[in-house]
Amino acid sequence: MRGFPIFLVLILVMTYGYGCKQRVVTQPEAEQQIQPQEEITQPQEVIIEEKVEVIESKDLEPTKYVETKEATFKDVLFDFDRYTIKESYKPVLRAASSWLMENPDLKLLIEGHCDDRGTNEYNLALGDRRAKAVRDYLVSLGVPSAKIDILSYGEERPLCMEKTDDCRARNRRAHFVILSKGE
Amino acid sequence: MKMKDCLLVNARYTGKLFLLLFVYFILAAPSGAKVYIDITSPAFKKLPVAIFDLQGEDGEEISGIIRKDLDFTGLFDCVDRASYIESASEPFNPENWTPLGIEAVVKGTVQGEKDLRVTITLFDPFEAREILKKQYKAEKGLIRAMSHSIANDIYAALLKKPGIFRTRIAFVAEREGAKGIYIMDWDGHGIKKFGLKGTLVLTPHWSPDGTKIIYSSERGRHWSIYMLDFISMTEKKVFSSRGVNMAGDFFPDGDSFSFSSTREGTSDLYVFAVDKKRLKRLTSSYGIEVTPAVSPDGKHIAFVSDRGGSPQIYIMRSNGRDIRRVTFEGNYNTSPSWAPGGDRLVFSGRSNGGNQIFTVKPDGSDLQRLTDAGNNEEPSFSPDGRYIAFSSDRDGTKGVYIMRANGESQEKITPEGLRAFGPRWSPN
Repeated sequence: MRGFPIFLVLILVMTYGYGCKQRVVTQPEAEQQIQPQEEITQPQEVIIEEKVEVIESKDLEPTKYVETKEATFKDVLFDFDRYTIKESYKPVLRAASSWLMENPDLKLLIEGHCDDRGTNEYNLALGDRRAKAVRDYLVSLGVPSAKIDILSYGEERPLCMEKTDDCRARNRRAHFVILSKGE
Repeated sequence: MKMKDCLLVNARYTGKLFLLLFVYFILAAPSGAKVYIDITSPAFKKLPVAIFDLQGEDGEEISGIIRKDLDFTGLFDCVDRASYIESASEPFNPENWTPLGIEAVVKGTVQGEKDLRVTITLFDPFEAREILKKQYKAEKGLIRAMSHSIANDIYAALLKKPGIFRTRIAFVAEREGAKGIYIMDWDGHGIKKFGLKGTLVLTPHWSPDGTKIIYSSERGRHWSIYMLDFISMTEKKVFSSRGVNMAGDFFPDGDSFSFSSTREGTSDLYVFAVDKKRLKRLTSSYGIEVTPAVSPDGKHIAFVSDRGGSPQIYIMRSNGRDIRRVTFEGNYNTSPSWAPGGDRLVFSGRSNGGNQIFTVKPDGSDLQRLTDAGNNEEPSFSPDGRYIAFSSDRDGTKGVYIMRANGESQEKITPEGLRAFGPRWSPN
């Protein structure tokens, strides 16, 4: 904000200047039987165009994991506004748990997703619940919870955009991404 | 140099600092106590007004903006210029207007090319006097802002209440797969995008003084809450934890804000005081609690919970006590927001397969439906409580709409093709 005091001075000078000029202009109008004139200088608007400065800070993680590849496990699908894991997906999750235990250096990211119905906020909470339901099931099979990260995307990352039942069903999913240690 | 007409500017493309002056003076003394429209009266009828095109090069544009502002309120009848007996250059004569029943006449001039100088006079034909006489100066780039200011002054002179014609609406829009925070004038003009990091940004909420907004953004696999300060034009992360953290309303103190977080399991509601860095948990149910909306007096919070089996609107005290359910009709009610008077809530509820905007008293009575076409979501009241902004996909693409608080005059204000949603009306 260097130079700001100069602007302030400029504003004050201009205000004063306008004020004086105004007095001259308004005097004759008193003759038009307007009520006694009161002069009020409104607060001025100073419009400043400036770049958004981003001050970022973040906690450094002991080990950083990066998304390496899409997992081969297929998505776990959910009913509308539900987060219970259907029996038909439990074999997938048993395979995922065995795989995780055989790969000690890798972690699993579970993304929770929703269809486009409902609000973003509610769906982010619902996606979180879906991801956690899958995580909890894997933990119940013996996977250490430290090997699993979760992230809700709510309705923000749809697989498809059609407003059909089939598309919506595919979007209501827990999706798996494999994380490996970064640099 | 082309001047911007808004305090809020596109920060990505211009880093230049420049300054505009927008000065106006009251030339005449304030008017008496006559209230021209009593909007609370059951016998209310529109006030017939005549608004001349100001004499001068930009007069037609300025008067057009003023007429459109006043017209949207539904309180004025801007009488067709063809029926005027008096011309713009003739002196005001009450006898030209009283037979037509016109209660207020606006005349004026505009001078200058780069710097505009506008003088307007608002006459009352029945009392044969000037109600308002005022001069405005602004750079030409601020012509819309200046016209809205004139409309505000005319509105205030006739209604003895502040107008909302200088307010703004913050919203989220998606372009090329990236969501960002945008701000526009209440009538959809002057859209500005902020150059923020990340491609997922949601739920903007204004601070009570209108100088900041908080919002949630996913960056590096974390949903954190960020604050953008319009005075310093800086962004900072104000709350971060594991899970999804979604910004809610500020409290009237301007420092603490409500939000939802899944940091301790399913989504619960919290309050965070920014200065003291103090976190307080308000709910701890097995269900999902999201979208906290703080009442104008700060004493209550309306929110969404699925504790009853489906998402419904609930209200509790700001300390988390005395939770009671507000909505019972329909199986999917979300996005509560308070009227500025605290006497009504507006929300989005599923009805016949689509989401519609409803208002209801905080005790759950007097439910009123305001929309019927497409999906209508995320409603937000104007600071005077007379209008509601919301998002709708009724014409195919989601966009931001405004309407009167009784559902009249629904109008899309974001441009065709811009996917826009999550509108929040500025407090001032």
